[in-house]
Amino acid sequence: MTTVTAEARRVSVGIGQLAISRDPNEILVAYGLGSCVGISCYDPEAKVAALAHILLPSSEGKRVDDREPARFADTGVDLLLQRLVEAGAVKRRIVVKVAGGAAVLGAANAEKFKIGVRNAEAITERLKHHGVRVVAADLGGTKGRTMEVHVATGKTFVRTAASPASEL
Amino acid sequence: MAVDDLIPTLTLVAADGATRAGRGLSGLMGQEIAIHVPNIRVGTKDDACDAVGGEETVVLGSYLSISGDITGHVMLLFPEPRALECVDLMVGNPPGTTSEPDEMACSAVAELGNIVGSAFVNALADRLNLILHPSPPQVIHDMAIALVETVYAEVLSQGGEVVMMDAVFEDRKGQTAGLLIVAPDPASLGALERVAA
Repeated sequence: MTTVTAEARRVSVGIGQLAISRDPNEILVAYGLGSCVGISCYDPEAKVAALAHILLPSSEGKRVDDREPARFADTGVDLLLQRLVEAGAVKRRIVVKVAGGAAVLGAANAEKFKIGVRNAEAITERLKHHGVRVVAADLGGTKGRTMEVHVATGKTFVRTAASPASEL
Repeated sequence: MAVDDLIPTLTLVAADGATRAGRGLSGLMGQEIAIHVPNIRVGTKDDACDAVGGEETVVLGSYLSISGDITGHVMLLFPEPRALECVDLMVGNPPGTTSEPDEMACSAVAELGNIVGSAFVNALADRLNLILHPSPPQVIHDMAIALVETVYAEVLSQGGEVVMMDAVFEDRKGQTAGLLIVAPDPASLGALERVAA
C-alpha cells in the first residue's frame, strides 16, 4: 500500500492553474477557493491525480491566456482531461470531485455576479459533455475553501477558515 | 490609451487616497499610522495577500462596491487578531478585550471599512472630478485569497484587464495595520482614461 510520507510536498495550484501528478509524495492544493471552483481528479488504476483551479464559467468572447490555462470552466475542463489522458488516465475511470463556488463577498454582491454558481454549473456541464460524472461536491455557501488531493491515495480533502479538513 | 498609460495617474490618485484613508484609520485608532506607497497591479494577484500574512491567513474586514461615474470594488482587510486589536482601540477597551469577531466587533470593523474605504473613494472622486457612491459596508471574514480572487473573478468576468490598487498601513511597531484593495471594473477604465487624459 502506498502512503503519504511525512515529507509530502504541497504543490500550490494557483488561480487559473492546473497540475497533474503521478508522484505519491505530492499533495496538490488549491488555497482559498472563493467563487472559484477546484476540480480534483484521480484515476485509481493509472495512479495519476490532477487538480484545476477554475476562475470563470465561460471563455466565450475572451482570450485564453497561456499563463492561466484553467481560467475558464469550458476550456479548462477540456485541457484537464486531455492532460490526464496524456498522463495515462482513462476517462471512464477518472473519479472527479468539485469544491468551491462560494459567495464570500455577501449576498448582495453574489446576486449581481453569481460567479460561484455559474462556475459550478459550467464545470458539471462540460464534464458531462465528456462523459465524466462528478462523484462528490462541496459547493456554494458563504465561506472560502482550501481543497487538496493526495496523489498517493487519490483522497480529496476540503477545509474552511472555520472548519478542519474533512474528506470529500 | 493603454492600461499601462493610466498607471501614473492611478499612482497619484492611489497615493492621495491612501493618505486620506490612513489619516482616517489613524484617527479611529488614536495612533500614528504609516502608509506605504500603494502598488498598482495589472493582471497578477499572486502576492496581493502577502501584506496580511499570505493566502490562507484569516482576515476580517469590510467590502464596499462603488457606483456612480465609475464602478468597482473596495476591500479593507486585517489579519483577524489585528482587526480585533483595532476594535479595542476604536471603542477604548483595554487591548485584548475583544477576543472573537462578535456582533460588536463586526459592527466596528464595518465602520472602519466605511471610513477608510470612503476616504479613498472620495480622493478618487475629487482628483478626477467624478461622482462616486460607496455602498454600505459588508463585513467579510475569510481566507485572504478567497476574497481577493473573488474580486479578481468579478472584474475579469466583465472582460478587459484587472487593475488592483493596494495600500498597506503599518503601526509604529511596523506591524501591518491593514490592507486596502481597490479595483475598478473594466468598463470604468475607459472613463478613467478620459478624465486622466
